[in-house]
Amino acid sequence: MDSGIASSGPEVVLHLEGITKSFPGVRALSGMTIDLRRAEVHAICGENGAGKSTLMKIITGIYKPDSGQMKLGGQPLDIKNPNEAYARGIAIIFQETSLFPDLTVLENLFMGHELKRPLFDSLRLFPILDYPAMRRKSAEIFGKLGMSVDLDAKVANLGVATKQMVEIAKALTFESSILILDEPTAALTNKEVDTLFETIRKLQAQGVSMLYISHRLDEIFQIADRVTVIRDGEHIHTEEVAKVTKDELVSWMVGRTLHNLYPKGEVEIGEVIFEARGISQSPLLKGIDLQLRRGEILGLSGLAGAGRTELSLALCGLSRPDSGQVFIDGKKLHFANYRQAMDHGMVYISEDRQKYGLIVPMSVSENITLPLLRSLSRKTGIIDSQSERRISGEYMERLAIKAPSGDFVVNNLSGGNQQKVSVAKALATAPRILILDEPTRGVDVGAKSEIHRIISNLAAEGKSIIMISSDLPEIISMSDRVIVMKNGLKMGELSRAELSQERILQLAL
Amino acid sequence: MEQPISVQQRRRGFRITYQTALFSLLVFLIALFGVLQPVFFAPDVLFNVTAIIGEIGIMALAMTFIITTGGIDLSVGYNLQLCAVIFGSVYTSSHNLTLAILLSVATGILCGFLNGIIISRTRIPPLVTTLATMSLFRGVSMIVAGTNTYSGFPDGFKQISTINLFDVIPIQFIYFIVLFAVFNLFYSRGRLGRNLKGIGFNENALIFSGIDTKRNLLFIYTLSGLMCALAALIYLGRLSAATTSMGNDLNLQVVTAVVLGGTSIMGGIGSVTGTFIGVLIIGVLRKGFTLLNFSGNIFNFTLGVMLIVALIVFAWLEERKKTAGRKSK
Amino acid sequence: MKKRITLTREFILGLIVLAFMIFLALTTQFATRNGLFSMMLDVSPTILGAIALSLVIFTGNIDISAGTILGFVSYTAGELAILGAPIWLFAPAAFVVGVLLSGLNGYITVRFKVPSIVVTLAMNMVHLGFYATFLHNSGWLENLGDNFTWFGRGQVFGIIPFIFIVSIAVAALFMFIMKFSKFGKSVYAVGGNRQAAIYAGINPDGTVIKVFLVEGLLLGIAGTLKAVTRSDVLPSSFQGREMTYIAAAIVGGVNIMGGSGKLLGAVFGALLVYLLSTAMIYLGFQDYFQYALQGIIILVAVFITVTDFSAWRKKRPTVIARRGEN
Repeated sequence: MDSGIASSGPEVVLHLEGITKSFPGVRALSGMTIDLRRAEVHAICGENGAGKSTLMKIITGIYKPDSGQMKLGGQPLDIKNPNEAYARGIAIIFQETSLFPDLTVLENLFMGHELKRPLFDSLRLFPILDYPAMRRKSAEIFGKLGMSVDLDAKVANLGVATKQMVEIAKALTFESSILILDEPTAALTNKEVDTLFETIRKLQAQGVSMLYISHRLDEIFQIADRVTVIRDGEHIHTEEVAKVTKDELVSWMVGRTLHNLYPKGEVEIGEVIFEARGISQSPLLKGIDLQLRRGEILGLSGLAGAGRTELSLALCGLSRPDSGQVFIDGKKLHFANYRQAMDHGMVYISEDRQKYGLIVPMSVSENITLPLLRSLSRKTGIIDSQSERRISGEYMERLAIKAPSGDFVVNNLSGGNQQKVSVAKALATAPRILILDEPTRGVDVGAKSEIHRIISNLAAEGKSIIMISSDLPEIISMSDRVIVMKNGLKMGELSRAELSQERILQLAL
Repeated sequence: MEQPISVQQRRRGFRITYQTALFSLLVFLIALFGVLQPVFFAPDVLFNVTAIIGEIGIMALAMTFIITTGGIDLSVGYNLQLCAVIFGSVYTSSHNLTLAILLSVATGILCGFLNGIIISRTRIPPLVTTLATMSLFRGVSMIVAGTNTYSGFPDGFKQISTINLFDVIPIQFIYFIVLFAVFNLFYSRGRLGRNLKGIGFNENALIFSGIDTKRNLLFIYTLSGLMCALAALIYLGRLSAATTSMGNDLNLQVVTAVVLGGTSIMGGIGSVTGTFIGVLIIGVLRKGFTLLNFSGNIFNFTLGVMLIVALIVFAWLEERKKTAGRKSK
Repeated sequence: MKKRITLTREFILGLIVLAFMIFLALTTQFATRNGLFSMMLDVSPTILGAIALSLVIFTGNIDISAGTILGFVSYTAGELAILGAPIWLFAPAAFVVGVLLSGLNGYITVRFKVPSIVVTLAMNMVHLGFYATFLHNSGWLENLGDNFTWFGRGQVFGIIPFIFIVSIAVAALFMFIMKFSKFGKSVYAVGGNRQAAIYAGINPDGTVIKVFLVEGLLLGIAGTLKAVTRSDVLPSSFQGREMTYIAAAIVGGVNIMGGSGKLLGAVFGALLVYLLSTAMIYLGFQDYFQYALQGIIILVAVFITVTDFSAWRKKRPTVIARRGEN
């Protein structure tokens, strides 16, 4: 049993009981129970997709739970919007800042809740903004944080670390007693992380309670008092940090049974057809080397922010690396744009199909043939609709895309089918090298295994695949090799025989 | 649960019903004006309608492309004015018709290219860009023309835009129909049209499919500039004069024709056929108003009201579609 | 922290304005009593117009029907004056007209989510057509009597026009409001980062409508001030005036994408644009040069504001955020 959950004992400031939240197609949280004590730093730990961000959004009123209870200081808590959360003393420091870049630090600190004073003191009329009071308060807050920031600087001109400090200070202008930090160190240098931790300790000393979401185990051991591991939307374990080891944490984070997955077929792996050397790109990627063989599925693992997507974009011409080379069939190549990479047989399938992969209001057929338009309209610039129909029909059948016809709007398809359209679009260019970025994200179990089947078949046909995935069982069952990344560095390479969830996480965290 | 309809069917369905409605509006207006002023039904009057919409029509075709990408070109009216003024000025000083035509067309292309370069290469939105170039073109045209009004163009030139085929069909209309056919072909079945609709919906998705969206954008704005130049030539032929107040009202007519025709101001959805009908409607209105002795200002007023109403109606329909979609989930 | 006079854009603009005025004083008739008087007379409505447009631009919108709204305003003022109303009646009435027309633009923009550019493009024509259709003689009024023009002719210390004082006072008031009210901050917020504004508890739609209403009031004042300087009114003569206001705002540092800029900058911008065109007239350029100039000014100023020069050093992926998405 855990030593953590209790409604009594050391003072509990926030208590969540049985919180459940579902979205169409996915259950994000299931019976989540957690508590936060006064002046503690409570780390929340879990892989991508475990439900951490959903949990935070519920606590801060952005989402409403389907069921369950929340208690603030013993009183039931029902928050309708983030503003109410602020008013009750709960503040969150987002990963993407919610600051106004063109406004000053001072303006950002108090936006929406500025301090006022009457224009004519005696008459108590005409409330106007009270800058001296706001400046005093800001000085006070920054003093408590042990920093000095130019209140009149434009936020856009500040560095990431300073912006984060401004966010924290903003939360403190609400006299927040509960602070939620969501992956706060993602973009910070080591020195900045130290400063942040000092700030956190100072806040702790002042009685502020903090939920610290992170997957960086080293940091958790540095700063947190207790840690809760969640997995697949469920609470797994809560324990005092002093009483737990990194291996234990890893094993709690892992531990899904490897079921429901398509068994990988035997494929003969050929020679190296793609190689990248020394790929670097500021601010993240640092000298990545990578080799890919014919018929191979290379898994790219690591936690969010490790740089896997950035690497992929840099490899296929969608962004430009600062240094490094790319070789296909031994020939050094330079891609000025994505079209050139496509001409050489590479293709990239984005993880965000709605934003970058598909044109949602258009039909299946129109989407599949999008990269092919040039060849489908070779002579006259008019699209050969017969060929278009044939090609899209072919791929719909091959990938078993469930839609009445190719004219069906992509918007109305299920997530799994949408993803298949995305894949079909990539396949239509007859690529040799595919980079799949989270190919089964937001896809139900049935379609998931279908997509795995498709990927395995592609490998059997001699295509080479780089597969980015945050789904450990998926990457373990599908990959011939796995490269693990962390902070833009290649941490290690594991052959199929060496693959295990623990080993991957050990490298990734 | 409603039967899933294919997008083609749904689009065709909507387009058919909308364009049918639009066409009926056209017929209705013709009937209305005819009743109010019987002379309206005379064939040469009706054909005159098609004669006066040549310029607007040509520009509206290019504008359809632009609005489909979610952009807009506010500079078309003054672009035309500039081309006309350049023509007038060159011809008046050199009496070389060919030279005047060439320079005029070059001006239009250049202006369009300027818009296109700025919009595709910098992050300045089309609205602001064309707002600024609108002023620029206007100013330059006034600088070039000074206080002159150019006229006295050769008969041969006038004939290019005013001759009537078979003594009945105005040649401007033929130009318009031909261009309409070409634009429509590439818009509804061409790669260009697909690209433009894609840009209007989600430009990133196209970039991630290897399509060079910048080149497409540069092309359509330059094309718009070319259309302005051609429209200027037709206009000049028809009115035989180039003044510095030609550009004013044209913007509104062009944009209204396109919006009325069913092209969404937000981009992605559109119809060149709709624009065609929209242009005809505007022509009918103009001719009808003239016959009824309404001033140009009343015409503009009506047009403005029509544009607003059309925008509101489309926006309201979008809203209804969205809430309906949510209900069925 | 003591506030030093930092090298802000407004400071530089102020210096340029000063330099310009000195230049003109030395080379032309500018420094005479007449010259200064007419400058203050002419620039007063422009100052308010620039502020009005700035407010709308702060929220990420635009209004290209401002000119024709001025037409309605001046017509209302004139017509009521002809009917015998004194200034303390016809002026507020004219203000109300401005508020209503601008409010209509704002309502359509917010309620139907139609981009303000198209709404105001259409309304521009609707206004023009309205004059011609429903107003006698297209709204042309002449021979307005002293009850109308006394305010426009009046002056203090023999040189400062009443209307200049009014416009400076109103400008100062609005600069105060933008700096010292929650409303002011929320205007910037909505234009700067709409989602963050919502998280901060600000209602973006309500703010936008309020801004249009305020713009209408300012246009009402500007239009009235302009009208009373003459004894005749021609509503359509104001058409296109908004381009000057927009140019003034942009020169003054207002970001056309919204979210930043200072009203003081817009005021200096108005002065600068005025001085520029005055100088050009004195130097012999015709007045239509100003159109070309405005166009170039807008392009250059926007280019500087919008181009993220530091981005030239980074090589980020090709994804695009068009139309000012955040």
